[in-house]
Amino acid sequence: MLALLFILFAGLAIGCGLAVVAQRNPLYSAISLIGVFISLACLYVMLAAPFIAAVQVIVYAGAIMVLVVFVIMLLNVEQEERGRPRLKFLVPVAVALAAILIAEVAFILVSVQEFRVNPTSAPSDVGLTHSIGAQLFTRYLLPFEITSILLLMAIVGAMTLARRGGLLPPNARVVPGAQVLPLSMVDPNAEPDDLRPVEADTSDEAARTLGITDFRNQSKRD
Amino acid sequence: MDTAIDIALKLVAITVAFTVVLLIVAYTVLAERRVLGLIQGRLGPNRVGYGGVLQPFADLLKFILKEDIVPDKSTRFIYFLAPVIATMAALMTMIVYPFGPEIAIPFTNITIPLTIARFDIGLLYVLGITSIGVYGIMLAGWSSNNKYSLMGGLRSSAQMISYELALGMSLIGVIMMAGTLDLGQVVENQSAWHGTHWYVLFQPLGFIIYLIAAIAETNRVPFDLPEAETELVAGFHTEYSAMKFALFFLAEYINMFTVSMLATTLFFGGWNVPFLDLILARGTFLFGLISALGFIFKICVFLFIYIWLRGTLPRFRFDQLMNFGWKFLLPVALLNIFLTATLIYFFPNL
Repeated sequence: MLALLFILFAGLAIGCGLAVVAQRNPLYSAISLIGVFISLACLYVMLAAPFIAAVQVIVYAGAIMVLVVFVIMLLNVEQEERGRPRLKFLVPVAVALAAILIAEVAFILVSVQEFRVNPTSAPSDVGLTHSIGAQLFTRYLLPFEITSILLLMAIVGAMTLARRGGLLPPNARVVPGAQVLPLSMVDPNAEPDDLRPVEADTSDEAARTLGITDFRNQSKRD
Repeated sequence: MDTAIDIALKLVAITVAFTVVLLIVAYTVLAERRVLGLIQGRLGPNRVGYGGVLQPFADLLKFILKEDIVPDKSTRFIYFLAPVIATMAALMTMIVYPFGPEIAIPFTNITIPLTIARFDIGLLYVLGITSIGVYGIMLAGWSSNNKYSLMGGLRSSAQMISYELALGMSLIGVIMMAGTLDLGQVVENQSAWHGTHWYVLFQPLGFIIYLIAAIAETNRVPFDLPEAETELVAGFHTEYSAMKFALFFLAEYINMFTVSMLATTLFFGGWNVPFLDLILARGTFLFGLISALGFIFKICVFLFIYIWLRGTLPRFRFDQLMNFGWKFLLPVALLNIFLTATLIYFFPNL
């Protein structure tokens, strides 16, 4: 029974994995990748690690892949042109890496033979939420904290990249409600095609950012 | 042989649970139309059967008999797959909820739990499957080859990403108090104080955040931007007709039902009926039956709140939706975690 399920999910994972690289349409590749993640989650459940399985689905299939699919849909990425492959010199490298990978798998199959255990025969609480939490906050506290600092750095970095103030022109103008008006409509001295926005929540904040003091009077003008 | 019997029993349980839930969902649709009629000063459907009780079946028949139109330039496979993903993800969460306590079947020695599957990570399972459900809507929007559908799908995914965080954070308070992710254990914990030890008493803030985020997750008014009729025709399901449309419709109402179930399980004591254990002994058939009915009743109250909101609130604008989710709900949810930790520190026995 377990062997059948393993063959099913492992086959699905490999099939979806092949589809990820074989598909020409980026959205199909993304969907195949979701399939890989879900099959792997099923395998984790069979290995008595339900917490990892749930996190795999929530984080990878449910959050990261949603973003990936979102971007593919937003940019409307077209089907990749099936042209002459450009990076031909990488083929021998790929073959070498594949050979190493196969050698590793073979090594594991040979050397771990004696320690094979039936996952259902020995009930263990290693994969359960409680034991993972206890270990994370006691024995592995330092790596855990370092990882969280790394994530914090990534968040701060993303924020800094996203809101670089220097890129915006000082006289750009935005109307709250996400309507961007050409600057020439409000300022007769501006260049006629300056549409770049400035970040602001309210009209008053936008006016302050732009250095316009008599904003209320200006809006009454037209 | 034992495994075969086990699997057969589970299949029977799943069939029963799905039938009951789908019936309730079908009548939620009718209730929605009648209550909306009441709110808007009109009657609503009342002609099929007494007071309209057969209306859900008439609707179903209509959906089956309608012509199934597939747009010429759609991406066929994904177009067919999308409603299936939406409905399956909505139904799959059903199996971990405890519908009632263990009950003894009368005249036999058999005791059965009213849960289909109980495992260590029940809550994470629910969150994981819910996050898969959004693909149904996104892929429907993309594969229809229609700009309104695509806009609906994009809006839906952006909304899901934003509100899933607040939703998860709002539940952490309850998890901290219960000390487990097993939904059955969470409900057992709330049996204290004669079944009135409900977590909403200690987590009012978390509950309100959950309620708001859950409405956004199910794309209901006032967060129904993915299908905003005034701007997007019908949003992501513009190009869907007949039974495929019915599947999306069904998925939406099943999702309503499951988030109500989660709210009841985590915040309102699950199947615990207050002070019932003073009258009846725990483990008897009657106790189990009344508890299960109490669970369904609480869910129905939440469903009514949903319909009520739909009848009374206008729709958000998209920038308001995003600002509200990221700049208000998420910080407040984090504050709730902090407050809960303080509470547990000073009153560890709550």
